[in-house]
Amino acid sequence: MEKVRQLFYLASAWGAGLCLIAMTLLILSQIGARLIGVVIPSSEDFAGWLLSAIIFFGLAYTFNNGGHIRVTIALSRFSTRYRHLFEYINLSIGLLISGYLAFYTAYTVYESFVYSELTDTYLAVPIGLVQLPMAIGSTCLFIAMLDSLILMIAGYVPNYISAENNIDVEV
Amino acid sequence: MDISLIGFILVAAMMLMLVSGIWIALTLTGLAIIALLLIENSSIGLLLGTSSWSASTAWSLTALPLFIWMGEILFRTRLSEDLFQGLSPILAKLPGKLLHVNILSCGIFAAVSGSSAATAATIGRMTLPELKRRGYDESMAIGTLAGSGTLGLLIPPSIILIVYGVAAEVSITRLFLAGALPGIMLVGLFMSYTIVWSLLNKRSQVDEESETYTFADKIMALKKLLPIVLLIGGVLGSIYQGVATPTEAAALGVTGSLLLSMLTGSFTIAGFTQSVLGAVKSSCMLGLILVGAHFLTLAMGFVGLPNELAAWIAMQGLSSIELIIYLTFFFIILGCFLDGISVVVLTTSIVLPMVAQSGIDLIWFGIFLVLTVEMSQITPPVGFNLFVIQSLTGKNILYVAKAALPFFLMIAVAIIIITIFPDVALYLPSLMTRN
Repeated sequence: MEKVRQLFYLASAWGAGLCLIAMTLLILSQIGARLIGVVIPSSEDFAGWLLSAIIFFGLAYTFNNGGHIRVTIALSRFSTRYRHLFEYINLSIGLLISGYLAFYTAYTVYESFVYSELTDTYLAVPIGLVQLPMAIGSTCLFIAMLDSLILMIAGYVPNYISAENNIDVEV
Repeated sequence: MDISLIGFILVAAMMLMLVSGIWIALTLTGLAIIALLLIENSSIGLLLGTSSWSASTAWSLTALPLFIWMGEILFRTRLSEDLFQGLSPILAKLPGKLLHVNILSCGIFAAVSGSSAATAATIGRMTLPELKRRGYDESMAIGTLAGSGTLGLLIPPSIILIVYGVAAEVSITRLFLAGALPGIMLVGLFMSYTIVWSLLNKRSQVDEESETYTFADKIMALKKLLPIVLLIGGVLGSIYQGVATPTEAAALGVTGSLLLSMLTGSFTIAGFTQSVLGAVKSSCMLGLILVGAHFLTLAMGFVGLPNELAAWIAMQGLSSIELIIYLTFFFIILGCFLDGISVVVLTTSIVLPMVAQSGIDLIWFGIFLVLTVEMSQITPPVGFNLFVIQSLTGKNILYVAKAALPFFLMIAVAIIIITIFPDVALYLPSLMTRN
């Protein structure tokens, strides 16, 4: 189970990381092509789609590593018991919102596929296809939060909390 | 439902969610959902889907992860050491000596990294022990670091200016041009204060520096600074000359930083991997906040709250100067509890129509906003630079805040200057229009 969990967050991290590298290479080749007078069609749109993939693919990894910022000033002053209670509340509300996001981004992608919409760019591709990372990534964020909630119920400290506590030493 | 009641419910919900520790990006999304529920909008989910898509694919936003990655690569090079060794001989004649190294290293490092807390951490880890060893006044050493650590927010390429530019829909190139002079001015103010302080407190500098530098030393020092100067010159120059968009310049910057780390022998595969993951983490954090902020702006438009607010302010007959004064205090208070990015996105979602309506230039307003956010970085209880320096030095946060107070006031002076002379910010962007 631990193996699966690690693999999940690693996939989230490198899904985003590879998209970042791909986006950099795309923009560099756009510059290179312009120097020799060639235009790469729709490269700006592709860069935008890769950006969306970076943002959404990496959400779960970022969450698990305490990367999504929040106000912890009140939390850190509570006693352990109250802090625990508040983390349950936060995770539940977080699940609600990220679940809503996951459901409706997935629905948006589903609709794009159903109506087989194409992008209005020079190179027309199915919108649903380039939107897919958005739905996958939001769903993974939901799963990551669920994972933390389950860990907490089982009596462990979820990784995002320990990562947050280390953050000022680490920067 | 009455609009002021909606406003009240939203503010209350926002405070509750933020204080209890719900992730800021999700709070923004949640608030937008509540707002749309209150006005009985029937297609909330569809709006969320399409808004998330357009928010995350904006071309101007593609510069963001690239600049973050560039900073992540440079943090893992010998850059901070080179800056220290390169700047020390050159600044040895100024009263305050190595304190200026603190300020200028932060200024230069900020120019390439764009992140405030990371700048303070990287430079501080290098300079604080050195300054302590040579007997510099501790509170000044900490104060200069805390203050000039905030330069990363203003000096282009700045991450927070990109966030503002995307959220407020103004040109990032223009914002970068507008940030340059105020940034240099702020460095000047910090250095002037340090000079005046050193002249007034001659006694407290125990070690009047036995080190003298020959001309050859200075040439060697300049050589150490050369790569970084070329990198900054290349990145900013290509944007300012108009030959590259901020995104393209950022991609070139990533390449340049990788080259620099290879040439200086600090490139490792492990370091490269960490830099990618570090960039992913910051980009996703900011990306989700921007997705939330975009949706909130949309929801606010449906509710009509920002326009109501703008109309109300117009009725009060405030002059734009009065408005700026009120906003400054409002932002400083907000910044005591929220981080800079949240202040910026909440502002663009709610206050921007009001600002635009009272005739304030949105480029100028971006620079003003970033300056107030800089102040908030060094005010307790929530000031990210304070946290970083607290963990570097082990000093109490109030001690650090007190040491940073003169620099807080210098930023306030900078705000006054750009308010009286808006051209400090607007002159360079206006050149672009003429061409």
